[in-house]
Amino acid sequence: MQTRPLSFIPSAALALFVASLAPTVAFGQVPGAAAEVGAKPANGPAPRTPDGKPDLSGLWQRPYVPDMTKTTKNQEGTADLPFTDAGLKAWKSYDAANGDYTGSCLPFGLMRSMNSPDPIQIMQSPKYVALLYEQNTWFHVIPIDKQHHEGATPTWFGDSVGHWDGDTLVVDTVNFNGRTRLDTIGHPHSDALHVMERFTRTDAMHIAYEVTIDDPKTFTKPWTNKRTFTLRPDWEIMEYSCEENNKDLYEGHIKPPPR
Amino acid sequence: MRVKQAVLGVGVGVLAATLPLVAHHSFAAEFDATKSVTLQGVVTKLDWTNPHIWVYLDTKDESGAVAHWQCEGGPPNTLTRNGWSKDSLKIGDQVTVDGFRAKDGTNTCNARSVKLPSGKSVFAGSAEDGGPSKRAAPAQ
Repeated sequence: MQTRPLSFIPSAALALFVASLAPTVAFGQVPGAAAEVGAKPANGPAPRTPDGKPDLSGLWQRPYVPDMTKTTKNQEGTADLPFTDAGLKAWKSYDAANGDYTGSCLPFGLMRSMNSPDPIQIMQSPKYVALLYEQNTWFHVIPIDKQHHEGATPTWFGDSVGHWDGDTLVVDTVNFNGRTRLDTIGHPHSDALHVMERFTRTDAMHIAYEVTIDDPKTFTKPWTNKRTFTLRPDWEIMEYSCEENNKDLYEGHIKPPPR
Repeated sequence: MRVKQAVLGVGVGVLAATLPLVAHHSFAAEFDATKSVTLQGVVTKLDWTNPHIWVYLDTKDESGAVAHWQCEGGPPNTLTRNGWSKDSLKIGDQVTVDGFRAKDGTNTCNARSVKLPSGKSVFAGSAEDGGPSKRAAPAQ
């Protein structure tokens, strides 16, 4: 098994952000390369940053969650989603063949990015936690102990703020543009989506991840999905250009989404 | 070499349970779960590119007529982590591809497995477990 060396910079802004983290981030969980390929690192207690918070830093392998309602060895979903009438209509009328936006390499949005199978790199400082998604080389920055922006333009990934609830990082995200789906199979949401995520590094090798989906236009009550992330010290994040050779779209095998 | 196309005689619901839900886009956005295809042919080209690798092959039917096919595979990052590379398949290799046809009726398929005459699978492995796998290549 081999991994390619890190050989790209997603954006100048991200590079600056990473540089700004350097004095404060504990990089111990992000080795440059595996000392012994395939070796299983010893587990132990969750490491902590110099300010005493659990250190979520590292490259994390995540289970692919194409359907958030399923409960499998990889995830604990909510089987019967509490749809509103509008939500049920949006779900029953969805046909990916009429334009799955991800096929056009449009941003997956927060939940579909969290549900993708590619790893994420988490970087952490006292003021920010950044999630670097390998999927399509996207990133999302979560300010700690800040307020949501007032009157900001809705976005694909939403407006996130984080705080520590004991040893759990709680991320609260609102102000979505409503153009995404929650998962690959296409569960719907509206622009009223409110996502609450909880990241708990239960030990050196694992993060327990729990997400609560709240969207009063689509669901009558909040519902949850849980899964576990696994640290991969033997991996490095890799470049992923969705646009590079998207034959599916360029040759017309799939439709672009309605605009 | 021959082309064998078979409409599976089982329910779509059963199939759906085992079908890959691709990561880059939904399987259903492009491919038909009721139209399985088995292709035997010669590799003419390999795109080792994001968001999917593509295997190109020429097949011949009983009359000797050549057909050009292209089949979508997994994402190169996942395949790399599972030990595969752009050199794992070479132009001129004889392969058998099992997959599903595109809904648009072109000679395009989603490869579930690519096998050499020795029976060895190439591009096997899954993003879900991260390790070497004997399972057929998922169409991520």
